Amino acid sequence: MSFGKFLSKRILQGVIVVWGVITGTFALRAASPGDPVNLIVDPAASPELRERIREELGLNEPLYVQYADYLGGILTGDFGYSYQSGQDVLPLVVQRLPATLELAVAATVVAIVIAIPLGVVSATRRNQPADYGATLFSLVGISTPNFWLGIMLILVLAVQFGIFPTGQRPVGFAEAMGTFVTTLHADELLTWVRHITLPAIALGTYFTALITRLTRSGMVDELGKPYVTATEAKGLPAVLIRYKHVLRNTMIPIITVLGLQLGTLIGGAVITETVFAWPGLGLRLINAIYTLDWPLIQGIIIVIGVGFVLINIVVDSLYAYLNPRVIDE
Amino acid sequence: MLQLLGTGVASAGITATAGCLGGDGDDEDEVEEFVVTQGEFIENTDPNDHNATPYYNVLDQVYEPLFNVTDDGEIEERVVTDWEHPEDGVVELTIRDDVVFHEGEELVASDVAYTINRQIDEDVGIVSDQVAGMTAIEGAEADGDTTVLVEHSAAESLAEFQLANFARAVNEEWMEGQDQPVDGEMNGTGPYQLEEYESGVQAVYTRFDDYWGDEPAFETVRFNAAAESSSRVGGLQADESDLVVNVPPTDVETVDTEDGIEVRNVTSFRNIFLVMKNEVEPFDSQEFRQALNYAVDNEGIIDSVLGGFGAPMTQPIPEGLFGYNPELDPYEQDQELAEELIEESGYAGEEITLQSMEGRYLNDAEVAQTAADQIDQLGNVSCDFETVPFDQISDAAGEGPDFEEIPFFLIGWGNPTGDSDYGLSPWFTSGGGQFNFRDEELEERLIESQQEDDEDEREALLQGINADLREEAPWVFLHLEESIYGVRDDLEWEPRQDESIYIDEMGL
Repeated sequence: MSFGKFLSKRILQGVIVVWGVITGTFALRAASPGDPVNLIVDPAASPELRERIREELGLNEPLYVQYADYLGGILTGDFGYSYQSGQDVLPLVVQRLPATLELAVAATVVAIVIAIPLGVVSATRRNQPADYGATLFSLVGISTPNFWLGIMLILVLAVQFGIFPTGQRPVGFAEAMGTFVTTLHADELLTWVRHITLPAIALGTYFTALITRLTRSGMVDELGKPYVTATEAKGLPAVLIRYKHVLRNTMIPIITVLGLQLGTLIGGAVITETVFAWPGLGLRLINAIYTLDWPLIQGIIIVIGVGFVLINIVVDSLYAYLNPRVIDE
Repeated sequence: MLQLLGTGVASAGITATAGCLGGDGDDEDEVEEFVVTQGEFIENTDPNDHNATPYYNVLDQVYEPLFNVTDDGEIEERVVTDWEHPEDGVVELTIRDDVVFHEGEELVASDVAYTINRQIDEDVGIVSDQVAGMTAIEGAEADGDTTVLVEHSAAESLAEFQLANFARAVNEEWMEGQDQPVDGEMNGTGPYQLEEYESGVQAVYTRFDDYWGDEPAFETVRFNAAAESSSRVGGLQADESDLVVNVPPTDVETVDTEDGIEVRNVTSFRNIFLVMKNEVEPFDSQEFRQALNYAVDNEGIIDSVLGGFGAPMTQPIPEGLFGYNPELDPYEQDQELAEELIEESGYAGEEITLQSMEGRYLNDAEVAQTAADQIDQLGNVSCDFETVPFDQISDAAGEGPDFEEIPFFLIGWGNPTGDSDYGLSPWFTSGGGQFNFRDEELEERLIESQQEDDEDEREALLQGINADLREEAPWVFLHLEESIYGVRDDLEWEPRQDESIYIDEMGL
């Protein structure tokens, strides 16, 4: 199979998954009890007004008609309007996307910066204190719920020591970076870093622990292979062997996991954003769920789903490009 | 779970340092930014597209009310300087001639008339939630630049209450030029003007230099949102907020014992109760309904489930509202009497289920479960408890007194207007959105009270209705919710029963 066919197949699969997400969220909305009109108008509103709104929303139409309208709307970029704010859903979702992406990327950076050196040290110093420490860190990191960790970080680093703020996002990365580039003043960029640090740690800790484990086990496997013995016999320095040869071979599965986990982090940001009042998609999703703002819930889930599918396609394609054997597997 | 853990955060008893306001805190001119953190935040900036106190709190700093309503419910002049009733069904409002909008236009009577019409007529701009609070108002028109004639269909005092609580002026020309509902921009006449706005996140205001009234103490005000209570309390402890709303009862002691911050609380006008639909057995029996009131220990629930925060209800209306009957006492728990009443009702041995949402009101599910347990302890009736999503409860409340699927449920009702009518008519008149108790004679009396122009007579009518409703027991009367705030301790401000927050009334 050619790379082009492989890519087409992946895109087709992605379209089917997105259609499934759209249909699934619509089904959830249809199956959920309650009258959406109660979410739009005051409880004391007259029956006439309620009926008028029901008609305007098409809620009196058969379910298949509502589904067709919804699907048609999405294809033209119309996700409906939020019950709570009365605004179009798509801008409400897009508006929050940068904050969530920033958080997911920052959590990934935290994971890479900490996990890879830790995994290497752990693998190369097996059964030594550094290995035990890294293994313990991995165990604790994987076992710790991120909302609990978030609250503990606020308690210790924000409230007690005042090193970081408790949350919020007073400035976005693009804006802060823009100011820095145009004025060379780093105040806004530092503000952004201070505010994102705790949420990124809270969100990225599980991921860090996971990558530490992957790096360690990958390194241990690679270190036992004959080519390592051969390079050692050649007299190459140990650092060069570990970081140039062994780590490079270990990185292939780690990069795959990194890519896939980025999508998971976007979904996983829901709780972290709530704890830190970080104004991303997750916080908006939670608010939408509290108020049963179904059009907004659907819009956010679809966007997260599309993002996840796109990341998967990109990762698969890169993987196939780098290692063409997987195309035929 | 998050709230539980949040308790741990606040219980750690960490010492706060100096306040987060700029300057030394002694000189009000030095104050740079005052930060208010609520659990909820506006979803758009349209002043007429909502009807919830947290939203009003954010918007009222910019879109000032036309009248002042004191914490005692008295109506005072503000933008409106005088109001008279030249003929039946008409209120004549006189507005100040020195009020300007933040974008520079002068406020004229046609703006006020437009605002009122926008609230009550779904064909003017938007379908406004505020129509529910302005049932007595039929329309408004300008008569010159400073006079507005408002037509109403009810007693003068009721019309005044509704205007005083719901009217805020917008600029007609500016509003008509915006997408509906408006979002991202504000153009009011209040003491603060919008500086920065992020949808669902924060609004930053600065003092409006051309404000007609007194200059507020703080140069800048920031409203933001933290849905998680532990985040709000943590923000207060870390000096990031100066005032936070809804401190959980479990965190009260921690906040109160910490340097620099303290708790301030007041019993609100939000009434929590158990609805019994009187067209569904066994709730069609007055004896049975009274029995459930005697079965439940209100004071005990307040002490054990709500940490002592709350006040027991004696009638459908909170104390402080026009028409409240001060002669009435709460039902005292008396399980023997409750069992006797159940025998009298003919429904001994009945099995009922109490349903409640979880998380909408303070410890709502725990309150309902405790009440259900106390009813279940009666020897001749059994009561189960079940949590269901709020919208199911909301639907049940709107389905009328014959709806059998959810006939017995917990719900809350805010009473922002200062008048009994908003707490009674929706529930006890057949056109009301929350009609669950059919009693035609009572309904006629309520309609009569709406038409009664003599204030004393009207008050007497409403007090009589409230007394009879206590006996009719359409609800198990529970409690009024407590509003609990965390504030910096040098803040000059007392919380209001109506849950409103006006920054221009504050100082240090």
